[in-house]
Amino acid sequence: MGSHPPSSRTALEPLATLDPAALAGLPPSSPLTVRAAALSGHLLYLGTGGGKLLLFSLHDEEAASPDFLRLLPIGATLPVSAIIPLPSVARILVLAQGILLLADPLLSRPVRRLGSLRNVSAVAAHATADPSSPSCSVAVAVGKKLLRVDLELRDGDELDVQTREIAAPVDDVKALAWVGDSVFVATAMGYSLFSSGDGQGVDIFTVPESSDQPRVKPLSGGEEVMLLVDNVGVVVGTFGQPVGSSLVFNTTPHCIAEVFPYVVVAGDSKVDVYRRRNGAHLQTIPFARSGPGVLIVASDDDGRGKELLVIATAYKRNYLACQVFCYRKVSAVEQIKASLRRKNYKEAISLLEEFETDGEISKDMISFVHAQLGFLLFFDLRFEDAVNHFLLSETLQPSEIFPFIMRDPNRWSDLVPRKRYWGLHPPPKPLEEVIDDGLVTIQQALFLKKAGVDTVVDEDFLSNPPSRADLLELAIRNIIRFLCASRMKNLSFPEMEGVDTLLMYLYRALDLVDDMEKLASSQNSCIVDELESLLDDSGHLRTLAFLYGSKGMCSKALAIWRVLARNYGAGLWKDLSENGSDEISIDKKSSEGIAAIEASKILKTSSDEELILEHLGWIADIDQELAIAVLTSDMRGKQLSPEKVIASVDSEKVVIHQRYLQWLIEDQSCDDSHYHTSYALLLAQSAMKAVHMEAKYGGKDDKEIDSDVQFIYSLRDRLQLFLQASDLYDPEEVLDVIAESELWLEKAILYRKMGQENIVLQILALKLEDSEAAEQYCAEIGRDDAYIQLLGLYLDPQNGKEPMFTAAVRLLHNHGKSLDPLQVLEVLLLHQY
Amino acid sequence: MAANAGNKIRNAKLVLLGDVGTGKSSLVLRFVKGQFVEFQESTIGAAFFSQTLAVNDETVKFEIWDTAGQERYHSLAPMYYRGAAAAIVVYDITNAASFTKAKKWVQELQAQGNPNTIMALAGNKADLLEARQVTADEAKAYAQENGLFFMETSAKTAINVNDVFYEIAKKLLQGQQVQNPQGGMVLNQRPTERTVSASSCCS
Repeated sequence: MGSHPPSSRTALEPLATLDPAALAGLPPSSPLTVRAAALSGHLLYLGTGGGKLLLFSLHDEEAASPDFLRLLPIGATLPVSAIIPLPSVARILVLAQGILLLADPLLSRPVRRLGSLRNVSAVAAHATADPSSPSCSVAVAVGKKLLRVDLELRDGDELDVQTREIAAPVDDVKALAWVGDSVFVATAMGYSLFSSGDGQGVDIFTVPESSDQPRVKPLSGGEEVMLLVDNVGVVVGTFGQPVGSSLVFNTTPHCIAEVFPYVVVAGDSKVDVYRRRNGAHLQTIPFARSGPGVLIVASDDDGRGKELLVIATAYKRNYLACQVFCYRKVSAVEQIKASLRRKNYKEAISLLEEFETDGEISKDMISFVHAQLGFLLFFDLRFEDAVNHFLLSETLQPSEIFPFIMRDPNRWSDLVPRKRYWGLHPPPKPLEEVIDDGLVTIQQALFLKKAGVDTVVDEDFLSNPPSRADLLELAIRNIIRFLCASRMKNLSFPEMEGVDTLLMYLYRALDLVDDMEKLASSQNSCIVDELESLLDDSGHLRTLAFLYGSKGMCSKALAIWRVLARNYGAGLWKDLSENGSDEISIDKKSSEGIAAIEASKILKTSSDEELILEHLGWIADIDQELAIAVLTSDMRGKQLSPEKVIASVDSEKVVIHQRYLQWLIEDQSCDDSHYHTSYALLLAQSAMKAVHMEAKYGGKDDKEIDSDVQFIYSLRDRLQLFLQASDLYDPEEVLDVIAESELWLEKAILYRKMGQENIVLQILALKLEDSEAAEQYCAEIGRDDAYIQLLGLYLDPQNGKEPMFTAAVRLLHNHGKSLDPLQVLEVLLLHQY
Repeated sequence: MAANAGNKIRNAKLVLLGDVGTGKSSLVLRFVKGQFVEFQESTIGAAFFSQTLAVNDETVKFEIWDTAGQERYHSLAPMYYRGAAAAIVVYDITNAASFTKAKKWVQELQAQGNPNTIMALAGNKADLLEARQVTADEAKAYAQENGLFFMETSAKTAINVNDVFYEIAKKLLQGQQVQNPQGGMVLNQRPTERTVSASSCCS
């Protein structure tokens, strides 16, 4: 602090200069010496050493010079030392030669004395008084007493005055300030405060010896007070507690005023402007000193007209009257604009931050400035910074950036708002042109630099001129960053279309295949018309296929996937992309597979039967499982016609047929006997084939045998289960197929379906020798004669087989009791036992 | 260093006192911004900083008053140490006079300050071993006698800088659990309360 570099900033700008004596029409023979000044709204009060009060009216407009309103003499022996406007009671309080006087705000009536006080050393109005109340209070130091004077405005402009003592004794009061409930008192010894309620006092700190005149200055609308020690402003709160770092001034202040967010300090021959928040020195207003006297600064402490500051020179210039300079606060916007005009981005950004912290700039304006900064930086080829600022702007519309990407006129030209900003940059144009123009400027700057001329071109660019290609890539990457961020915003549909389409456009320019495919395959608002020929030409077929897919243009997407699959399959994939290096590592199979997967994804949700069946073939050629998934998908609105599916699927692709039928029957509960029969036949054929293969290639190692056996078992299991579970197939047709096979259990099931009990029992008892199953079957039939029939089979198996006594005995043991003994005997006799 | 967002933040007023040129501002700069400048300007009046520090699952927000070491501004010091929860008295290990001055600050704090203020003695410039004038043992012994906790620090190399603040934060949090709440302001939940209690100290 206190070491800030000299600033070229203009926080306050001159508004008007006035010569009070001349304006008041006083002859040069009676010069004025201004001793006090005060601002109340647009009224400027001056108090002179010769006991005069002058009133002027200031105007906001630069051209309008101040008007002289009134001169009120209060007495030639009464030099004015302070003027305090008291707007709430429609009075002006004047301290002159130790007495207090009251005047009306327009100085239209003679002054009246306030009480009978003499030797008043300091006076201060209550800074936080309610402006709407017709009363106010002032603290007055008289001798050793500290008084409180309450003023209340009555009807008829009468003033009720109450005086009481706050605290005593206080020696040698030099200055007062009253904020909140605390009266701050400055004496030659130091600073203390007294409660305006109970008069309780406390020392804040003592001042070092040989300090200058102590001063107190209420700040921030009466929430804080600045206490001066030498050139240091110690800021304390209303209870005397320190708040924030000390302000360190370049000179010892004679007079201090606040024009929020600035603190203005008048020194010997200059006025300095500091930022209140951090004490940074912003501006110096020099005054040529040509005689004795001090500078006086005044602003309106009451809040209204806080934009204005007056500086009164008490110097007598060449024995002529002093002059008064009016200054106006330069708005945040104007200050930032001034920095940007000089292309001093750093300063503009720091101003923006400063005004933002001080609450001097609206949110919309902050966004506006960020956008403005972004455009300027963009034209200066500082793309990363530019986009950073674009992103900080909440009002910048993404479409404002479109003209950098696509030449006008285009689909989005009408969408681009015609914002003028501050007219500091040319209208956006394609970034190639921005870069070319920027490079020319850099070349010129280099030339000028050699000639010793300073330019505003970035030093980095001058010391290390960038290449066009690098700049182009940098620009594109940063616009991509901006567009990606814009996608997250709530944009209008046409703008979103622009963002996504141009994003794809830029990805393509840098051949960012992954990003292209990611965008194309996700939910996006790309306009296909704008991109399809571009993507086709540059060979970004996968992206195009994804894009078609995401836009519901399934037929086109599938056509590309089919071509891609075929090309991959034929080894043509290497030529597909201009920059094929990334692709080389991809396995041919997997590329083919990916094409099939992507195609199947589309088809799974499609209800377009023709399209599905058109593409099913090539997908099935690559991966049957994918084809099955397409056929059995439950994501489509309308199911496919099984008839057409079965008719169109290659009959060689048994697995697809089989799995499709299985799905129809098991998942879709299809009860068409035709499909049940077909399914049973397919299963039976598969089982037979498997058994046959197993028999043919039986001599493998153990492991393979195991797995083959497992496979056959599972096939047969499925067949048996289905044959048992379904009543809808035609058992005879199935039986025809397996008649010659060894699938005896299956045959038993089929015969059972056909009600051929005897054959079933024969198969179970004799072929399979599963007497348990046979007995179980008899139990299911539920007639005694079934057991008798079984017994007969056991005793005479025929075909040269030996009688199966064990099974017969087991049967009799288990069921003998329930059988008719005569029938049993008959069977035994029949078989000669 | 970053504070956890979820837990309670406790405000603690902390003041740095010590002779001119002992490195008070450098210690604060190192702690708050992690920076060091070879030629730090002399502080005028006082500078204010704030920094949060997480200790286990609690967070202390230090409101740091870096006072001027110049004798001329000595009279301002009570305003800054009044109501402080912690004070770091800094001396320069290469300057015996600054250690004497530090002892005076300790005495002043003991006499005028809040009895609950946690006091740390920091022997700064510990990187300049060859120029040492104050031994660590001497300072340690003094610290023990006076109930201070002591560390030799170097704002330049960052040695022990964060540790001093961390130790203080720990002690503040420990002290708060056993401390009589009427015992004056050490830690407050909200800045507004701090203002109130600070005023009660003044009035």
